[in-house]
Amino acid sequence: MIVQDAKGSRHATTTSRPDFQIIAKTLDQAKHEELAMELTINDTSYEVQSDGETPLLWVIRDELGLTGTKFGCGLAQCGACSVLVDGVVTRSCVTPLASVVGGRITTIEAIEEDEIGKRVVEAWVDHQVPQCGYCQSGQVMAATSLLKENANPNDDEIAAAMTNLCRCGTYNAISAAIRDLAGETKEG
Amino acid sequence: MKKALAILLVVLVIAAAIVAWFVTRLPSSPFDGQPRAEISNDLVARGEYVARLADCVACHSTPDSAPFAGGLEMATPLGSIFTTNITPDPQTGIGNYTLADFDRAVRQGVTPDGARLYPAMPYPSYVKLSDEDVRALYAFFMKGVEPVRMANRANTIEWPLNTRWPLAFWNVAFVESGRYEPESDKDDLWNRGAYLVQAAGHCGSCHTPRGPVMQEKALDETNGNYLSGALLDGWYAPSLRNDHNTGLGRWSEDEVVQFLKKGRNAHGVVFGSMTDAFNNSTQFMNDDDLAAIAHYLKSLPGDRERDGTPWQYDAASNEKLALSNRTDNPGARIFMAKCGACHAADGRGKTPWIPPLAGTTSSLAPQNASSVNVTLNGSGRVVTDGVPDSYRMPPFREQLSDKEIAAVLTFVRTSWGNTGGPVTSQEVRDLRERTDPASSNPIVLQMR
Repeated sequence: MIVQDAKGSRHATTTSRPDFQIIAKTLDQAKHEELAMELTINDTSYEVQSDGETPLLWVIRDELGLTGTKFGCGLAQCGACSVLVDGVVTRSCVTPLASVVGGRITTIEAIEEDEIGKRVVEAWVDHQVPQCGYCQSGQVMAATSLLKENANPNDDEIAAAMTNLCRCGTYNAISAAIRDLAGETKEG
Repeated sequence: MKKALAILLVVLVIAAAIVAWFVTRLPSSPFDGQPRAEISNDLVARGEYVARLADCVACHSTPDSAPFAGGLEMATPLGSIFTTNITPDPQTGIGNYTLADFDRAVRQGVTPDGARLYPAMPYPSYVKLSDEDVRALYAFFMKGVEPVRMANRANTIEWPLNTRWPLAFWNVAFVESGRYEPESDKDDLWNRGAYLVQAAGHCGSCHTPRGPVMQEKALDETNGNYLSGALLDGWYAPSLRNDHNTGLGRWSEDEVVQFLKKGRNAHGVVFGSMTDAFNNSTQFMNDDDLAAIAHYLKSLPGDRERDGTPWQYDAASNEKLALSNRTDNPGARIFMAKCGACHAADGRGKTPWIPPLAGTTSSLAPQNASSVNVTLNGSGRVVTDGVPDSYRMPPFREQLSDKEIAAVLTFVRTSWGNTGGPVTSQEVRDLRERTDPASSNPIVLQMR
């Protein structure tokens, strides 16, 4: 797999940039030839045939049928497409496939396998957060990522981290649910 | 006394006659007197390629017009001019031009009736075109372009400022005469690159700074101003010299080729005015020509004094983006909310698809127009081999205030080792107004 090393990590400290040869090769093949790539999603390995440029979201939904992750704006503006890559919230509509080869991808379908994710979903149910529900898989992902980074966020931090949009305006319920979790974690 | 006056009068009349002759004369063309020759399909195809090299369509079309039918508005301080119909329509286009007429317009900026073109037509560059390329270009415009009947629009410059004959003197001062002459001490690749960059490519029209009367400060590599970067139309066209920070210093020749062929590489993606140059021109150049261009550009030395201390990535900035630190740092907070999802939380982007902000020219150049403009208005559609790009910068004009854009760009331009420096709300406000087509003071493509 020529894209094996082309993992653009989300972590500032461990960033490795794809080298020129790989970029040249993927660019030359882009639009002409599909590449075989191995993706790890929800602890399952998938072999996908696609351009390295293809947005991760398209593959998750259209090729793998994991439709819990939603298409919202396609421009990284709303967050409906959020998934976790190595535990960090990532907007999959602007994530080229080649950049996540080698990463551990988690979607809403498996969020309850994650200890923190499970508690987020429970809090979401307790607070009856969703209204129409379209943005909520992304919101759950963002909340899980937030609590992984900071187990006890204050209100300011919740506001700074939860930037996904909700057309129904469930923001207060989202904040309340996360505040509960922050408290819970503190006690635990 | 009377006699002295009479002599003076005679002298003046003679001087006026010489000036009148000089400014309306038809310069000679090597094609003068040649009969109309049969045009072969091969020559038409070759001419089409030259038209791509010269990017004629970029200015001689509008998004709504047929190719080469003209009509694009270009601003001057005195009023607007409109590009002309260069399809072979005999009434409204150039169908009646002979090869010599065509040559005079392209290489000398003179129409068949002796009028001078504004140097918005880049004849100071095209003058260096070879006879063969001009002949091929003519063949393409006569036989390879569909004639379109569309009358040229009149300029909006008022008399007497619309007099164009004084341009004959501008030409004497600022236009070099003669074709590109290969440098004997350089190899063929370098000379081909120099020819493409200086003549058809007219890269300097945007990337070379201009002097007080709009002349390019340099037309070839013998002067350090050549391709050293310039501000135009609300964008900063960066240096194409070997400047480490603001030029091509960190690019390999292969990466230059890749940028011109695919519109993107590990350092960046085309945006602003370069999107049009890529969509219409550079991606159609063949690999040999792209290699030549890269080779020539990489031979131009940088200027450490102008360029500043060489950029190095500084990871310390990432601390400011940590959740507990960004709550009271508006720039960092907006970056994570609006920019980080694409350009990555370490500013390195997702290359080659989404460009980095760390170490890019627009983050390092003191001129911040490109940073502000692309944030307000987003990037244009990059179309490679007929396929549009998957990732595009959205406009933040409606989402972020002047203050917010200033804050986030100040963060970007002073983080990760970037030395571009802060952006003020006032600078954002100015460019916001000037890039809004509905405002009373919009930027129209400049006369260049």
